[in-house]
Amino acid sequence: MSDDPAEPVADRSAELLSAFPGVRVDPDNAAYYSGLLERRLLLNQCTGCETWHHPPRPICPACWSTDVSAQDIQGSGTVALVTILRQGPRQPGVDYEGGHVLVAVELDEQSGLRVPGTVVGVPAEEVAVGDRVQLVWTDIGDGVAPRPDFELAQ
Amino acid sequence: MSASRDRIARNPARDQVAIVGIGRSPYSRDRDGCSPGSLVLEACIDAVGDAGLAKEDIDGLIGSTVSAQWVQAALGIPAVSYFANPPIIIGNQLVAAVGAVHSGVCDTVLMYHHGYRLPWASRRAAQDPMRRRSTVGVADPRSWWGTGHNDPGSNSLFGSSAYAAWAGRYLHDYGYGRESLGHIALNSRTNAASNPGAVYREPLTMDAYLDGRMVRDPLTVYDMDIPVDGADAFIVTTAERARDLPHPSVLVHAATLGHTDYGSEEQLRDLDHSGQVVVAERLWARSEVELADVDVFYPYEGFSNIALAWFESVGYCGRGEGGEFVADHWIEAEQRIVIEGRIPVNTHGGSLSEGGTQGAGHLREACMQLRGAAGSRQVDDARVALVTPGGFYFNSQGLILRTDI
Repeated sequence: MSDDPAEPVADRSAELLSAFPGVRVDPDNAAYYSGLLERRLLLNQCTGCETWHHPPRPICPACWSTDVSAQDIQGSGTVALVTILRQGPRQPGVDYEGGHVLVAVELDEQSGLRVPGTVVGVPAEEVAVGDRVQLVWTDIGDGVAPRPDFELAQ
Repeated sequence: MSASRDRIARNPARDQVAIVGIGRSPYSRDRDGCSPGSLVLEACIDAVGDAGLAKEDIDGLIGSTVSAQWVQAALGIPAVSYFANPPIIIGNQLVAAVGAVHSGVCDTVLMYHHGYRLPWASRRAAQDPMRRRSTVGVADPRSWWGTGHNDPGSNSLFGSSAYAAWAGRYLHDYGYGRESLGHIALNSRTNAASNPGAVYREPLTMDAYLDGRMVRDPLTVYDMDIPVDGADAFIVTTAERARDLPHPSVLVHAATLGHTDYGSEEQLRDLDHSGQVVVAERLWARSEVELADVDVFYPYEGFSNIALAWFESVGYCGRGEGGEFVADHWIEAEQRIVIEGRIPVNTHGGSLSEGGTQGAGHLREACMQLRGAAGSRQVDDARVALVTPGGFYFNSQGLILRTDI
């Protein structure tokens, strides 16, 4: 967590709705999706008690403050859950032949705070619970928002 | 999970409400020309007849995605004083029924659940253009239920992906091989052989299981419930009224749902903070029977690892010991689990072999066993059934059913 105030996220409802056609974008999660367009992974944090939560809710589940805001995370964490998708619906940037690894990364910001994602740059079978990972961004095609992925930490 | 025992033990409905009618629309993998509604209606008509009742006797309806209001109109049920459409799965419907009947809001409930093969779950179903239209329009169904975040992208961790990830974590943390999951799959398949209503009845060997097509590591096609078309329906009324009806009563002794605050897929802390733990605590607090009194056990196994966790959560063994417990109670000659040589598990073949209907089949089979009407798979003198539908989040449920003795 940085002491610097986060760069404000512009209101871009129309752009969001067209950039995420299958997503129920609403006032509670708009900042999260806006962040993706700027290659920023923004998670909600309580301004008062500093508790993080995800997915985004309109209040802090710890203290019920409505003063929550989407903040940049450091992007480092530990693999908590792993699976490999061997089949599924066609989706951009997903290779079932080689196996698409899917993980939940427990972020360093807070115990239990996890985000889902894939790990790029290594064969799927080489990703294991406990691995240290770092956030990276993958461009998966025109008109599709950059995807927050992870790579094994150096 | 620190509520006082007195508060969570309150159970004024104990043994006051009974399941008196059971109806089916047979499970099938190759049925054409059916809709979710037609399956539900077939099961509902069967259940009303089984209870020895007429449609005018029904004054409560509990459905879900096939709504109670739709069913009421389709069946021509003249008047109901209670109706609701809780989310699946079947424990939600039963808990609502117990509340409605015991409170007196209505007298006799018809409740039901259906399975319907969707195009992404069945190659044959995918060739049917009307089924393609029937699937939900948003990739992540949680956005409809309001239970989770709603990113439909390739990296969402939900449904089978999330259960597979938790299965992998279980094997990793406790040092098991895939054989521990295989015991759950083989047990279901063996028991299904005795169930004419099961869709997969051919024997499955451990070698064949281990060679099974990997879908989401470490879960294979044998670890995931079988999509079927079919439905189950139940008639629920007062225990007093039940005594005048044709079949032996199946009493609802205790029933509960369970969920925790970090209870979604990747946010779930660990298996000690799942809905299952809440279920077990509340169920036993509200019950006058104990685990040792259970004669038949129905742990939900829509994904095989869920059942291993249920063995642990309800108290047969400690956390992480489920794989070992199942191996210790594995009867090699029978290729199935029999706890302490006495208590069979998922006698109908479960979601993995009878067919995947999110626990409705488990509830039906428990009722059939307590009626003494389970045919060649009848367990001698079955008096207490423990049914635990659901997984780790959104739908953990526990039911203790007993005979009216």
